[in-house]
Amino acid sequence: MTVVAAVVRTVGLTKDYGPVLALDALTLEIGPGITGLVGANGAGKSTFLKILLGLVEPTGGRAEVLGHDIAAEGGAIRARVGYLPEHDCLPPDVSASDFTVHLAMMSGLPRVAARERAAEVLRHVGLAEERYRPMGGYSTGMRQKAKLAQALAHDPQLVLLDEPTNGLDPAARDEMLGLVQRIGRDFGIAVIVTSHLLGELERVSDHVVVLDGGQLLRASRTDEFLDATGSLLVEVLGDDAQRRMLEALAAAGVSAAARGGMLSIDVTDGAGDVHDLIRDTAGDLGLGLVRIQADHRRIEDVFAEPAGGAR
Amino acid sequence: MTDPTSATPEGRSVIHDLGYRPYTGARLGEGSIARALAVTGFRNAFGLGRSGRSKVLPFVLLALNLFPAVIVGGVMVLIGLDELPISYAQYASTTQVILGIFVASQAPVLFSRDLRHGTISLYLARPLRASTYALARWAALLAATLVFLLLPIVLLYAVALLGELDVTEQTREAGVAVALAVLLALVLTGIAGLISSWSTRRGFAVVATIAVLLIGNGIVTAVQGISSEEGRSDVGEVAGLFSPYSLYRGLATAWADVDALTPPTSAGMEALYALVLVGLSAACLGGLVWRYRRVASA
Repeated sequence: MTVVAAVVRTVGLTKDYGPVLALDALTLEIGPGITGLVGANGAGKSTFLKILLGLVEPTGGRAEVLGHDIAAEGGAIRARVGYLPEHDCLPPDVSASDFTVHLAMMSGLPRVAARERAAEVLRHVGLAEERYRPMGGYSTGMRQKAKLAQALAHDPQLVLLDEPTNGLDPAARDEMLGLVQRIGRDFGIAVIVTSHLLGELERVSDHVVVLDGGQLLRASRTDEFLDATGSLLVEVLGDDAQRRMLEALAAAGVSAAARGGMLSIDVTDGAGDVHDLIRDTAGDLGLGLVRIQADHRRIEDVFAEPAGGAR
Repeated sequence: MTDPTSATPEGRSVIHDLGYRPYTGARLGEGSIARALAVTGFRNAFGLGRSGRSKVLPFVLLALNLFPAVIVGGVMVLIGLDELPISYAQYASTTQVILGIFVASQAPVLFSRDLRHGTISLYLARPLRASTYALARWAALLAATLVFLLLPIVLLYAVALLGELDVTEQTREAGVAVALAVLLALVLTGIAGLISSWSTRRGFAVVATIAVLLIGNGIVTAVQGISSEEGRSDVGEVAGLFSPYSLYRGLATAWADVDALTPPTSAGMEALYALVLVGLSAACLGGLVWRYRRVASA
């Protein structure tokens, strides 16, 4: 996809609830594809989504969704945005089929079109025969699928998924994450998905936005988060291999440190040379070189660092 | 889709995956959406589009409500009276308990359910504004209540015409009764809707509405009875302002051929009765809109 237009753009977005500052001058741009919104509970994720829907009025700043201003064109935004709320929202005595048809109509689709769309999205989310049963008897996984179906019923350009994997067992979570990935990649719908589980978003999202205490901690592409940290992990085998390797490397002017069963080697100055140096050093010492790999970070590491202190 | 098997992560058998097709058809505006919501709400109030069990109560009540009118019809046909044994405007007072139970039991269907199950957040995330949502729900309950109130009038009117009673007189009386029924429906819808919108528990809403409508009426009737006995009908007149049913009775006595204990006696009092009825309805509707605006921004 070569689309450039930002799906969401905020400038100094602030929501002050009096005692609580939910969003603190948030300025960011979210593009197409799948964007993971990460933060602990109370970091301002849900408030942010509600502001984007035009449901909650910000106390300061402004925001645009799909090119529409949230303050003036809330209706136009909500017509083309799908929303999966975090909490339960399904009436128990209605079938998923009837429910999805009704909510598609509530998004402005005529009845016949709503029926077709409902049948289609229910098939996509994987609700088969059970779609005709009252939702009160659904498992958590089925309920989340029904919630996802209603968010997609009107073919939105953007879906906001608030903790879609909440309460799911590992198998159902994998299935839901697979669906999120399909929505973003195959359906061509922009996705903003929140989670407090970082590992999940690491897998499915193209971009990650990290919120902490209503402030933007970091926003970048997921692979940048996972980028090589500028160090190599090396594993060597042999008598007292680690210590001898460390000493030899230090003598060669390369700073290294033991980490678990591996050596972490700083390669900030010229990676190519260091690779050769490691190979040669190990060869000279008669050690078995088991592996050399880039040291990838995990999204969790962002929280371990002081705020704003990326790499 | 490049890989059709990716659609079936657990390897479940799927005949053919068409892939995702975007929707390119019409998208209707807020007016059409509100109309669709009101129609669905109207059907839901009678249990249509819901489980089989939920149809029982509204239709039993509707049948009970029509029963006297059917009896009157039979009597008219068999005996051939020269006037209806029960006047159009009197009918709603006679069946007020059934009417009260209907409104009290079905208002939560329209107003409490979405709040209780959190479905309201899905409506609010759609183009409909919170105030339009409230208006559409209110219109649905109003229409259902009107069906309840107007069907007997229509039935009696048909019977009267079949019994060859004076058409002009019957039309005039039925017309007044329809106007009164609309006023009553407005106030009942407003009160029951407002109570239900503040309660996520259906049972609580039902009990509270019945208490306000029927017990309130009972208290007012008692006060009116005592004041009439004591020769202080002016007290009863004022007391009549405090319950929807007594307001209805008062106006029905003034405008149509209905007997009440302490009806409004002056034109000013009549106007006050009408004003309170309309004002109360408007206030309740305003309260409903306000309530859902608050829910939206919560």
